[in-house]
Amino acid sequence: MTRALRILASNPLSLIGLILVSGIVLAALLAPWIAPFPTHNSAVIDFAHANQAPTARNWMGTDLVGRDIFSRILYAYRISLGLGIVVLVIATPIGTVVGLLAGYLGGWTESVLMRLVDVFLSIPPLVLAIAVLGVLEPTLTNAMIAVTVMWWPWYARLVYSIARSEREEGYVLAAEVIGAPTPHIVFREILPNCLPAIITKMTLDMGFVIIIASSLSFLGLGVQPPTPDLGSMVAEGARYLPDSLWMTVFPGLAILLAVFGFNLLGDGLREVLGVDE
Amino acid sequence: MTRTTLLAATLTAATALTPVFAQSVLRLDEVAVGELDPAKASDYADSILMFNVYDTLVLPKQGEPGHEGHLAESWEVDGATYTFTLRDGIAFQSGNPLTAQDVVYSLERMQAVGQGLSHLFGGVAAEAVDEKTVRFTLEEPYAPFVASLVRLPIVDKALVEQNATEQDPWGEAFLSGNAAGTGAYRVTAHNPQAETRMARNEDYFGEIKDAAPDEAVLRYSLEAATVRTLLAQGEHDISSQWLPPEVMRALANDGAQLFTESGTGAFYIKLNTAKPPLDHVNCRQALAHAFDYGTALQMVAITEDVSSGSAPTGAIPVGMFGANPAEEALARDMDKAREYLADCPTPPEDWDLEISWIAEVPLEERFALLMQANFAELGISSKIETLPWALFTERVASPENTPHISQIFVNAVTGDPDTLLYGMYHSSTPGTWQSPEYLDDAEVDAALEAGRRGPGEQEREEAYSALNDRLMELAPTIYGYDRQSVFAASDRVSAPALSDPSQAFGVDGMGFSFRLMEMTD
Repeated sequence: MTRALRILASNPLSLIGLILVSGIVLAALLAPWIAPFPTHNSAVIDFAHANQAPTARNWMGTDLVGRDIFSRILYAYRISLGLGIVVLVIATPIGTVVGLLAGYLGGWTESVLMRLVDVFLSIPPLVLAIAVLGVLEPTLTNAMIAVTVMWWPWYARLVYSIARSEREEGYVLAAEVIGAPTPHIVFREILPNCLPAIITKMTLDMGFVIIIASSLSFLGLGVQPPTPDLGSMVAEGARYLPDSLWMTVFPGLAILLAVFGFNLLGDGLREVLGVDE
Repeated sequence: MTRTTLLAATLTAATALTPVFAQSVLRLDEVAVGELDPAKASDYADSILMFNVYDTLVLPKQGEPGHEGHLAESWEVDGATYTFTLRDGIAFQSGNPLTAQDVVYSLERMQAVGQGLSHLFGGVAAEAVDEKTVRFTLEEPYAPFVASLVRLPIVDKALVEQNATEQDPWGEAFLSGNAAGTGAYRVTAHNPQAETRMARNEDYFGEIKDAAPDEAVLRYSLEAATVRTLLAQGEHDISSQWLPPEVMRALANDGAQLFTESGTGAFYIKLNTAKPPLDHVNCRQALAHAFDYGTALQMVAITEDVSSGSAPTGAIPVGMFGANPAEEALARDMDKAREYLADCPTPPEDWDLEISWIAEVPLEERFALLMQANFAELGISSKIETLPWALFTERVASPENTPHISQIFVNAVTGDPDTLLYGMYHSSTPGTWQSPEYLDDAEVDAALEAGRRGPGEQEREEAYSALNDRLMELAPTIYGYDRQSVFAASDRVSAPALSDPSQAFGVDGMGFSFRLMEMTD
């Protein structure tokens, strides 16, 4: 642990990533207490303060119905992070199991599973998500389902490639020789060797999930108003460019910071965990 | 260096050789699609195309009520029979002469195609008495018949028939991409999703201003931010009315002119009277009194002088038959709202209102939030639902699927209250986008029929006045504000029909008759 922190700290970029991510996570967790206008995450209207540029009262200005953009960004981080965590928590195990089985068992299982993965990977991710949301209703839960559907194949592909090379390693052969059951070999022997790569990818992916989820809500397919969401805030503000810059720029910056932070942290983790590119 | 000089010399030579045509171009935008077939025209973009490419028998008088002849020279009314005499020497853009046969054909085509505003011509039959005389016979008396003729564009029968096929007897494919009218502008290119280009028809029979644009380009579905930038850079002339008020305000602050077209419509917040708890009149009255009319008006104000709304006084917009005077503005009254709520059988916490808004009209989201906050003060629970227009029109087909609250802008398409109110409240027309109230009231039906029957203005005034009172008692709708359309425009164009009330037509889209506009450079 101390070694990990030392490696992270020795790389200033990773350190920035760690600070950004911790800051964002804390801000999201503490939103109800630190937001200057904690009620502005819902259907509040205050036309006396509508469409105002940043002031001491509203650090990032207000939107068209007078809600504080800074407060809404804090709440929107909760949605974005929550969505990212749920998606990865569901997509990673599915992809990992598929990848492990295909990689270790090979043969017929490998062909079927990996061709299925190829089918998913051949469709542009955003298009796939839009198609899923077109069939379902646009809600937060369905947005999670849509993003999960497009995300698991990447983990399957990653774990598959590691599992395939590990299959020939001495420790796996040894386990096979002593007659260990397949589940034991797959989950107890091979999986631990895949974990560093999986954790690194999850950290890196967090940023991308946030971008995809924001893109979906930018298109009106994600979280529905009045719940704040970074993508829909950008979309709403874009109609009022260039006069009301703050409505678009601050939520846009918020997305940028989150993605940047997770990427830097992911790169740092790769070094700590010794994962190859 | 040499090359530049050479180029310059060539250019000068070219300019010297060709006579100088300073083509003036008018650039404007609207929401897609631009429907060019006049029998299918219904919305604003379609109307702009129709009023420029086609002509009608009559036109509304500018700045005053009533109509005057346009393609028709004169007309006589005898009970339910209307006889029109056509003006001499009018030719279509194709060169074919206009005859009474074309008028009969246009009506029959409108009825056969059965789209757009064909419902205005339900029980009407036409016959050509001679080359220049056409007689309309109505199955039952319809006082606003002459007014409805502004929505009967006359098409070139010979040209359409030439292009009709067995599968397409009314030439729909041809007319959706080509013009066949007498209008002041010809269509030179048409893509219903992107743009329509029109050029002046130098052979037009009527008045065209000298400085009217030589060419007009109507572009579809530009983003608000794009229009904002283009106008500021002098690359655009007139915006659509759908720009959010903030953008209009920013443009006005930059020196843009604001054009207006007013008086024939309103913003309606429609309550589904077939769905509990809104099936009870007291529950509806509670909402109508809790709505914050003052804030609504603030939300649509653009500058100190121009707003897209004025205070509502009842069910009928000020200026129409039966409207209440402008001083009797509706106002929020929370005490009354609470009284009504106390007599509403459903307790407020069980309401679970669905407040919908049309996804294509961002302004409505703000009204949804306003209502949610207003009704929450009464303890009424609600949720907001976004409905794209296509989904909305599908949902309103049955009362169970129709949301409790729908937000709709409605205009009298002919300027007459009948076309505003009949389709909205008559019990025979429930479940269209205009009538998500599902109102079924014998007194309302009777007043609507009396208003339609006329025959005189006195009778109509009385009928609509009674209708207004009855509607205010029943509260099927929250009357948000009387609406006028506002457009931001560059200083290159002057359009008296959109800026001078004494030149206004009082019919949606007719102010965009390009022939009456003038380009200033």
